[in-house]
Amino acid sequence: MESISRVTSMLETARDLTLEAARDASFARKSSTRPLPPVQLKKLLDSRHDKEILDGLRKVLSMSYKHQPTLQYFSNIIKNIASPNLEIKKLVYAYLVQHAEEAPDTALLSINTIQKSLSDSNPQLRALALRTMSSIRVPVISQIVALGIKRGVGDMSPYVRKAAALAIPKCYRLDPSTMPLLVEHLSTLLGDKQYYVAGAAVMAFLELCPERMDLIHPHYRSLVRKIVDMDEWGQLATMRLMLLYARKSFPKRTKRVKKTKSVGDQERKPRKGFYDSESSEDEAGGASEEHGEEVLILDPDLDLFLRSIHPLLQSRTSAVIIAVARCYLYLGNTTYLDNAIGPLITLLRSAPDIQEVALYNIIQICLHYPQAFVSYASHFLVRATDSPSIQDLKLEILTLIFSYSPPTTRSLILAELSHFTTSSNPHLVRSAVQAIGRCAQSSPTTQLSTQCLKLLLKQLSSPDAHLVASSLDVIRHLIQRDPQAHVKTIVRLAKSLDALTAPAARASIIWLVGEFASVDPEHNIAADVLRILVKGYAGETDAVRAQTVLLAAKVYLQYLLATKKEDSVPEQPKNEDSTIEEGGWSPTATTPETSKLDSNHPIPLLYQHTLLLARYTPSYDLRDRARLYRSLLSTPTTSTALASLLLLADKPVPLAPSPSQSRKDFVLGSASLVIGEQSGTGGLKGYEALPPWVKEGEEPDPKLRDEVGGRGEYVSIGAAGGNVAGVSAGERLDGATGSKGGLGVGRVNGAGGKEKTLDDWLDEESEEEESSSGEEESGEEESEEESGVEYETESEEDNEGEEGRLVK
Amino acid sequence: MSAIEALYIFDEHNTCVLEHVWNGRPPSAQILLPLYLAHQSPRPSLIYISNTNPASLIYSIVQDRLLFLSPSSVDTDPLAHLEFLHRVADVLEDFLGSPLLSQKIETSYDVIAQLLGEMCDGGTVATTEPNALRDVVEAPSWMNKLLGGVGLPSASPSITPSSSGAFSSIPRQGISSNANNSNSIAIPWRRNNVRHTSNELYVDIIETLHVTLSPSGRPLSAFAHGTIAFTAKISGVPDLLLALTAPGGAHSLASILQLPVFHPCVRLARWKERPGELSFVPPDGRFLLAGYEVDLLGPDYLGRAVASPKMGMNLNIPASVEVRTGLGATGSDFEVRLLLDPKFASKGGLSGGRDAFSKPTGFGAKAGGTSSHPIVEDILIRIPIAGGVRNLSELRPSKGEAHYSPGDSAVEWRVAGRDASALSGNLHSSGAGVVATLRCTVVGAQDDEEDESGGAGLEIKAETWEYDDTGGAYQNKKADKESVIDEKNSVDRSAKRIKSNRTLMPGSASISFQVKGWLASGIKVDKLVIDTQRSRGVGANMQPYKGVKYLTVSKDGVEIRC
Repeated sequence: MESISRVTSMLETARDLTLEAARDASFARKSSTRPLPPVQLKKLLDSRHDKEILDGLRKVLSMSYKHQPTLQYFSNIIKNIASPNLEIKKLVYAYLVQHAEEAPDTALLSINTIQKSLSDSNPQLRALALRTMSSIRVPVISQIVALGIKRGVGDMSPYVRKAAALAIPKCYRLDPSTMPLLVEHLSTLLGDKQYYVAGAAVMAFLELCPERMDLIHPHYRSLVRKIVDMDEWGQLATMRLMLLYARKSFPKRTKRVKKTKSVGDQERKPRKGFYDSESSEDEAGGASEEHGEEVLILDPDLDLFLRSIHPLLQSRTSAVIIAVARCYLYLGNTTYLDNAIGPLITLLRSAPDIQEVALYNIIQICLHYPQAFVSYASHFLVRATDSPSIQDLKLEILTLIFSYSPPTTRSLILAELSHFTTSSNPHLVRSAVQAIGRCAQSSPTTQLSTQCLKLLLKQLSSPDAHLVASSLDVIRHLIQRDPQAHVKTIVRLAKSLDALTAPAARASIIWLVGEFASVDPEHNIAADVLRILVKGYAGETDAVRAQTVLLAAKVYLQYLLATKKEDSVPEQPKNEDSTIEEGGWSPTATTPETSKLDSNHPIPLLYQHTLLLARYTPSYDLRDRARLYRSLLSTPTTSTALASLLLLADKPVPLAPSPSQSRKDFVLGSASLVIGEQSGTGGLKGYEALPPWVKEGEEPDPKLRDEVGGRGEYVSIGAAGGNVAGVSAGERLDGATGSKGGLGVGRVNGAGGKEKTLDDWLDEESEEEESSSGEEESGEEESEEESGVEYETESEEDNEGEEGRLVK
Repeated sequence: MSAIEALYIFDEHNTCVLEHVWNGRPPSAQILLPLYLAHQSPRPSLIYISNTNPASLIYSIVQDRLLFLSPSSVDTDPLAHLEFLHRVADVLEDFLGSPLLSQKIETSYDVIAQLLGEMCDGGTVATTEPNALRDVVEAPSWMNKLLGGVGLPSASPSITPSSSGAFSSIPRQGISSNANNSNSIAIPWRRNNVRHTSNELYVDIIETLHVTLSPSGRPLSAFAHGTIAFTAKISGVPDLLLALTAPGGAHSLASILQLPVFHPCVRLARWKERPGELSFVPPDGRFLLAGYEVDLLGPDYLGRAVASPKMGMNLNIPASVEVRTGLGATGSDFEVRLLLDPKFASKGGLSGGRDAFSKPTGFGAKAGGTSSHPIVEDILIRIPIAGGVRNLSELRPSKGEAHYSPGDSAVEWRVAGRDASALSGNLHSSGAGVVATLRCTVVGAQDDEEDESGGAGLEIKAETWEYDDTGGAYQNKKADKESVIDEKNSVDRSAKRIKSNRTLMPGSASISFQVKGWLASGIKVDKLVIDTQRSRGVGANMQPYKGVKYLTVSKDGVEIRC
């Protein structure tokens, strides 16, 4: 979704004027904020009046943001930390967090007061104190912070518990030795009934100990159910966690099913190779490979997760949509992924900066699964206002879906691409030409690739040398892939030499003629092309001359080879005959019966002439080349083998992969994917590749995920269950008290352990208000406290149990 | 996850107005800025810079001419990071007033310090909901906000924060006031204890057009990106129901309104069950309720277009352009014509303010003046000019003002709404018609060099290659061709000029405009009611003031290729 301020700007017509005025005014205004003399400022900070202290604090904060030294006021500021005025307190905290590192000793003076605030009656203040304390980057206080976290974990306010969760990674950074303690707290918080807290706990978990998957097992289902209600950031973290978790806990099971002519079949057909590479390990016997296709069997628990994140596809946050798509791509089957395609398209509506990153991700999915995007082709039409990188990305998507599209879409794409070859922007022209080349490569039918080639050939008549050169480049690639099919094209290209002026293009054509004209010995035009070129040798650029000389060498060598062959098979008609006779250039067409190396034969003469021309060329590189060819071909009888190795070797077929092919290995939604090659093969620092699926038999016991009911009462659930969870008495009580006062605490999975969204809760709010009785209200605090403690022990037991199982 | 290391904000002169570090030791703003600026504009939103210590990813957004940079030394989710920057920008605007100006930032560091502390905790994103932040951070004092909102540079010393302490004695609704019930987080997006003296609800539906027309004028794609902005100023916890309708009735809405995204407050189940009905508990203040997309061409347009090439252009857009290139003796002229749909012409210069419903029951009479007479305003046509063009020697608009100076990347032609509507008023009978034309003559860089370079080298022939299979006749054609070349060289100078001028012709033109009181998709608000059963703290017979505004905007959105 667009950001609110962008939408607001459309509604406010005067906005531009205001911005204009502000810019003009800002020149005049720069000097007006001069700092107060230090003595006066200190006096303000030491004042008895809150008003003046606040004034002073604001001044100091402005100074510190403007990079003016403020350390001299540090102690004066810290003095105010105990102020009962909230405003003052918050500003002191803000300053402290930013500058504690610069004066650690003075900062320590404040710790005591902050610690006191941890038991304030106002939960927001408690949370603030905890956050501030953990943000002070002075390692000495790590134990105090750990203690504060312990208190916070047991706090009854979710604000404070969330602050505690977020403080955990900070504490770890201060002192890594607190790890075991922190992990313990974290496992408590992961099971918190408030989605608000659980989301933060997941973030902390990913930061602190992402490898400790054993902590997740008991909370898996509750986290999965809470994910809908979390805020965006919690959702993102939870999906990231679950992706890792699922890969490590659910072995990949596939089965083969008979191909059915279902509706989805046509879509699925071309996507072999997507899962095949991964599943080949599992599939020992591939006997049925031809008969069936692979279908992923989803573990019920995994399916629960995939289903629960489905509503998030309607999220306003682009990152969430990508994260869901990532889970579906790497965990789910195509049915799930299909659902994510539309929402991915919605990202194209967002701000340009987000659009660009989103397009990288869309391409990544498109590489795996192009046919899904076919119906959205018109969303990817390039617009003149798009930035160059977005244009490139859109063109790439169009080429990727090209071969999967219906004919109408194909013609639209081709029309689109050919339109941009006439653009005035050279970068766009090159991208478009290359895109046409990729379309031709991937075309399923020869007719289509002919059509692409036709488009490219049309470009050759353009007056834009740049365009001609780049389209010839692409044509050359296409011809090299299948020279037999393009014999006629080469003839046509040779014709165009008459008209073309761009040196790069001419050189490219000459090379092609030298390379492939011999494919069809009946119509070998190489010698004739050489003849024409030699006439205009003086007027050519060095690049063309070099290719001319090379062509001469190749033609001569072929002539030598042909005469040699005739020695052994005398009755073979000569290759060059047809062309040369028609040209009427040589009055005496040599007959096969004359001596092998007739010095009057036009080809040797032409060759000698070219070498002479080259010899008197200013470019020393060219003269060197000529010398090389001369000595290489000096002894016609012996050196032909070596020469043909050098000159007539088969050139490897160039591949023009989609530009994003190089990024294909990066995980969807990572920065490395956007940066691409620059980030190196292993990705950027902190990049994590997707873990492989756990092997069958090595996965953790699914029973570990059975919910313990949270409150000491264990109700076993079938492995396929999930909807019927155990409800303990304590939980019921909690559920009832939660609705007290209209604003409940732990209502999310209150009664019945059934998934209950916030909306459900709001729906039922009114009825429950009446039903909840007064006597339960009193029990709220205690039950909260109890639950925290009990839960801790519970999870410990559970860990042990799991270890035991793993050993077994 | 906690990889958001710092936030730097620069003003339009690239001076750093804010530097806030959350985590780690990121390179400072002074180091990052030149490295960022070293990239060619337009700069990507994510740049990797390896020659800083530590090597950093730089995320950037531009908001109201302020540049937000945020470095990160490890691989993060780029979209999450960018979204966070957008949220910061939104929140700052919410607290400091719109638009966001560097002075406002410089005068409210105290508020910003608290906000940034709340939004990101040690590098981990914490609270980004504006309403939740309102609960914990106080907006700048009313005096400051009032003046800031008007956008006046606060030169007067009496309103800078340093002296606004005078107002701090005014009782404030800080944390303390709602401390008693903040043990619970009821609705994460709505702040506690909302009180308003006058209760108001506003719905603004804005559709942005994205239309691409082929050179022949036929649409290739046409989308309207819709956004529903909602402003709720209601006491208590209201539960609202907003119902939309489309021209074909409510049931066709699901097919018209595609790919919706919603604010978390919207109940998805309700929408799935009955598309078009948005049931939600709104945050306090302004927020975006939903976004959607409308394909103005209808499904399977391409298929139909190919099947019946003569099919009429059924695209309903108020204004569009036509470009004809290669005119004049040497093909150096081009002509742009503005087309207006007479439906949107109106003589009375109605401005589409909020047309309010007098009473909640008065929805039937909502249309007011604007919906029945929408008019096109602020017409601006942009024609990007190719890089090879040295100048445009003549600009001849028949109406309005056209502007181009050498070196500009585009011609801008502004037609005042009054002019346009007056003109199109005459066209009422004749259907969509040309209202105004602009004719330009391009002067290319090559025109001077032509004489010197003439003759040298071979010229391109006008012939295009056909992909025929008659390669065998190669040799015979040769002789003819050589003679043709000579002939060409000597004869056709002007053909060559036309050819070279062709590269100088514009490749596209786009038109910007806005229409108040009209939506391209035809979507309308059917009703907006408060569900008193579900709401809490809302008076049973409270009658809020309700307003609906429709706006269709094209920001270079209608683009024609040529």
